[in-house]
Amino acid sequence: MDGIVSVLQFATDGVSQQQQATANNLANSETPGYTAQDVSFEASLQQAIDASAGGTATLTVSPDPSAPASDGNNVQTSTQLVDGQEETLHYQTDVEMLNAQFRLISGAAGGSFS
Amino acid sequence: MSLFSNLSVSGSGIGAAQAWLDTIAGNIANMNDVTPTSEATYGEQAPVLVPSATPGQIGDGVTVAAVVQGDTTGVIASDPSSPLADAQGDVRVPDIQLGAQMVDLIQAQTDYQANTSAFADAKTAYQSALTLGK
Repeated sequence: MDGIVSVLQFATDGVSQQQQATANNLANSETPGYTAQDVSFEASLQQAIDASAGGTATLTVSPDPSAPASDGNNVQTSTQLVDGQEETLHYQTDVEMLNAQFRLISGAAGGSFS
Repeated sequence: MSLFSNLSVSGSGIGAAQAWLDTIAGNIANMNDVTPTSEATYGEQAPVLVPSATPGQIGDGVTVAAVVQGDTTGVIASDPSSPLADAQGDVRVPDIQLGAQMVDLIQAQTDYQANTSAFADAKTAYQSALTLGK
């Protein structure tokens, strides 16, 4: 993993995948027997950043461990809605930081810093 | 996986909630149906929802696989004034409880709203992605 841009690029993609999982969980909130999906990449990305020789971050899709209701569905609508908002803000933050990085590069290349 | 695919995932959820709302509306509209005891009556309808997913990957939303009709036996009610009544003055009416339908209605509505919220989240995120490099 080299460079802040590639770290942010991976994070932006990861958050987008998390958002898809959340949207999918909400779409299936009434599907009998459906198990919610969790997507995580943060720990793996952190490890890749920490690895001195440069590591590879991965994205993991895992089933949500919470107990299912009587129809076998374990989607908690409230949790998913909160996750959805959180992921959107997270995404915007990542995009903002990428833009800041691009402004620095553009400034250093003789362009404008704003 | 298409561009802006998160929007279509929520779109499928909205579609499923809409299908559910439609069946509930149909059930309530047919609550007071009357048929002769020799015939079947209206059976409560419900959508069959299945996840649309490739194993091991993040799901692609939900699909309405079918709309099933429940028990058409209904219940026998006494209504001698009905022109459809048999010799005993009985008719067949659907076995639909308004209370249960209203509970389903609220659930379907909440489901719809939750999907709309996820749709808005995806839209906001994609819009911010479009500012990259500006």
